[in-house]
Amino acid sequence: MRKIKSLFTGLGLVKLLIYGFFLLFLIIPLLSVFLVAFTNEPINLFGSLISLEQLQTTMNQFKNATLDNFKSIFSYGHYFEGLINSLKLSFIVSIWVLVICIPIAFGIARTNMPFKKTISALVTVPLVIPTFISAYAFIIMFGRAGWVTYIYEKLGGEGMLIDPYSMTGIAIVQIFFFFPYALWPMVAAFKVSDISLEEASRNMGAKGWLTFITVTFPLVIPGMLSTALVIFAVSFSDFGTPIILAPSDLNLIVVDAYREISGFFNWGGAAILTVIMIAVAGFVYWLQNYMLKGRDYGVVSGKPKQVKLIDHKALTIPLSIFSGFVVIVPLLAMGTVILQSFATTWGKDPLPNGYTLDHYRTIFTSSLGNIQNSLILAAGALILSVVLAIFVSYFVVRYRSTTLDFMTTIPLIVPGIAFGIALIQTFNTAPLQLTGTAIILIIAYTIRRLPYMVRSTVGTMKSIKQDIEEAAVNLGASTLTAAITVIGPLMLPGIAAGSILVFVTVIKETSISILMAPAEWAPMSLAIFQNVLRAEYYSAAAMSVVLVVMVLVLQAIANRLSGRNGL
Amino acid sequence: MGSVVLEQLRKDFSGVTVLQNINLDINEGEFFALLGPSGCGKTTTMRCIAGFETPTSGTIKIGGKDVANLPPNERNCGMVFQSYALFPHMNVFDNVAYSLNIKELKKSNPLKKIGVYTRMLNSKLVKYPKEIEKKVMDILEYVELTNHAKKLTSELSGGQQQRVALARALVMEPEVLLMDEPLSNLDLKLRHTMRNTIRRIQQDLKITTIFVTHDQEEAMSMADRIAVMKDGEILQIGTPTDLYSNPKTSFIADFVGTSNILEGTVVSAENDLTIVQVGNQQIKSKMKKDKKEVQVIIRPENIIVLNGENDNYDNTFEGVIHLATYLGNTVRYDVKVGDHMLVVDTIYESGANIKQSGEKVRLGVSPERVLLI
Repeated sequence: MRKIKSLFTGLGLVKLLIYGFFLLFLIIPLLSVFLVAFTNEPINLFGSLISLEQLQTTMNQFKNATLDNFKSIFSYGHYFEGLINSLKLSFIVSIWVLVICIPIAFGIARTNMPFKKTISALVTVPLVIPTFISAYAFIIMFGRAGWVTYIYEKLGGEGMLIDPYSMTGIAIVQIFFFFPYALWPMVAAFKVSDISLEEASRNMGAKGWLTFITVTFPLVIPGMLSTALVIFAVSFSDFGTPIILAPSDLNLIVVDAYREISGFFNWGGAAILTVIMIAVAGFVYWLQNYMLKGRDYGVVSGKPKQVKLIDHKALTIPLSIFSGFVVIVPLLAMGTVILQSFATTWGKDPLPNGYTLDHYRTIFTSSLGNIQNSLILAAGALILSVVLAIFVSYFVVRYRSTTLDFMTTIPLIVPGIAFGIALIQTFNTAPLQLTGTAIILIIAYTIRRLPYMVRSTVGTMKSIKQDIEEAAVNLGASTLTAAITVIGPLMLPGIAAGSILVFVTVIKETSISILMAPAEWAPMSLAIFQNVLRAEYYSAAAMSVVLVVMVLVLQAIANRLSGRNGL
Repeated sequence: MGSVVLEQLRKDFSGVTVLQNINLDINEGEFFALLGPSGCGKTTTMRCIAGFETPTSGTIKIGGKDVANLPPNERNCGMVFQSYALFPHMNVFDNVAYSLNIKELKKSNPLKKIGVYTRMLNSKLVKYPKEIEKKVMDILEYVELTNHAKKLTSELSGGQQQRVALARALVMEPEVLLMDEPLSNLDLKLRHTMRNTIRRIQQDLKITTIFVTHDQEEAMSMADRIAVMKDGEILQIGTPTDLYSNPKTSFIADFVGTSNILEGTVVSAENDLTIVQVGNQQIKSKMKKDKKEVQVIIRPENIIVLNGENDNYDNTFEGVIHLATYLGNTVRYDVKVGDHMLVVDTIYESGANIKQSGEKVRLGVSPERVLLI
């Protein structure tokens, strides 16, 4: 009895509300999209709860449920092809990312290659650029009128060096913009892999390169494989690149799903594609965790010894040149976008014909609304995720709530486009008709970015010892008062860093924005996307620059905040 | 200030019993120590009293009142944590004033509540009322921290932090003061000073105090009474001298001070003298035991090294010095007697010779000093 009573007071109530929120906006939508894959038409779960008539309809829909959609995946060539193409793309991207990261990671971790500091700083650049901007940058570089194409033809080539509108184009964009995700884990792997083992190998007479192949490399393999899986998942879920670059004859599952729902309103088709996407992403996530389990080698033997960095010029100079080349591609892409944003016109020439600030004037007058929308939506998502993250981390750390912990990792796995489709479908009809409102957009952003926020707040929460809270309670404070006066202030730095991260990622967010934002709430990302589709490249470029600058500034503030507090 | 009574306290953690049959009757104003090795349940017992753990069964009464239904924030038990658990974002003054703020919060109207909350979040924004200010400064003066009131707790030394924690617990005028290994984070010298400080304050305020420790010296030197715990049960309750001279089990004999513990068999009991066969030696004791297999307990300081003049002892053994350890005011000898190794403490008088290992010695013990368990 006391337990039941305590559920409805203070923290118990908060916990119920949080569970309700996740149930309503995460679990039920995912469940509903799964059901729609069988019924082939949207079902109204909330309506069924309040109206008998609706319940009857829903029951009938279930009676007519078929496995047709599941069959069609493997018989109807279109969907199947999309899945295969997507898997192929992700596979190619992850392999190439590994290949280009090995030398760079080795160079950073183990050598004194020239410009090491600069290279390490520049590899973070791709992370701040949303993929749809990088994809579009590739169009203005490698497209028919791009400056790369110009140079290529001057050098005697014919046509385009690389067709951006192709599988190759998509893969190249993803490789050059996703490699930083793999680089740092690999640098870490190279750093921790036990130096004394290498010394032992050398002591037994093995030459440097032989040591690398027989000892160093095998030691970092588990780390590399799990990194490759991360890239696989990122590439598989990426929506920005394929939606801009995929030609009409290339099916990719994310693009297919988007077209089914926003072009044809084919609920069943979108649902089955969503289910498949989640299944693949979930499997990859599981595989990655499975591989990491119990494979914590490297840091076993006490203090890692100071590595003696390799100075051999014959090795470090090629490494440096190679790393420089990989790093410069995203920079050139961003540079091209910046140049274009100031260009009067830019045809098939190495440089624009003239320079102007007109495009900025345009976006700060006619597109000011988009910037405002982005800021408001991001602020809304920030506030909501701060509130949620504080309580979620509190329950996760103090009460070891594994259910909540699990629920906040689900959005990490579910691809954005899949989550968007699930939400649209679930909240499409009364009584909870939220599709097309700013509220559902904010909720979608929040849930999608909550894991990052929770990670940050859980970290700070863990550093606050339970004693401190007990001391407050012992001195007479209720748990709520203790939370407000002691836990809250102590968590502030973690919250600040996490919330800026949420703000930044919401501004960058592509899939949810493109899929769910109504016209009157179009954020910057949607505006850029539409401009690119309409081939209004100059204003797209200016808007992209504004977006990237905002992201850079905020990210710098976040780094300062988290750096100062040693998080 | 009140008495603390525990009756038939039992605590299970997911099926494992960590406390059982805990019966304690702690008097008003008493300094009571819970002593035992780590994992014996002493901290759990204290946390049950504070309300952080709910006992599986049994009752807890503070000041004669059953506190089963009182949440920890209404029990009025001041607690000093092992880690001190000072609020790192507040200065010394705000830390000590915390419980007074809470008291004010409870009786304020909503508007004033906001003021108090603001003060707790940032004391520069809302002023403390005069009476709180005075109370805090008084207690800070009492623990000699007046000059540190505006410092952050991280700027203080370990001993000072300890005193802040003590002041913070005392300012709420608790019915009981609970201290969980409060000295374990201090260095040896400071520990001795703090022992005296805590004891002095306890005597001054006559506050019922429960003190958890694994250090028998600490418990013996500070507490009025001690409960020795092991494996979730209380083995013996008594005054320090009582525990030392009449330990009920060999565990206590060993845990409270050092002891020579020998296994033996009673061979005869006559004229108030029990004779016990230990190996090929016979040991006489004034204690009576009605069982055959006994443990013979002799404290090291009760064994005398004989040097011819004073060998008038009922128990004498021949032995060889195995190891001599010089401890300042005492010398500790490990002496091999037959198959047994006996620990012998002798007072060191300056200039006297310390016996070397290999030297033959005669040892004497009077039967009054031989305990049988």
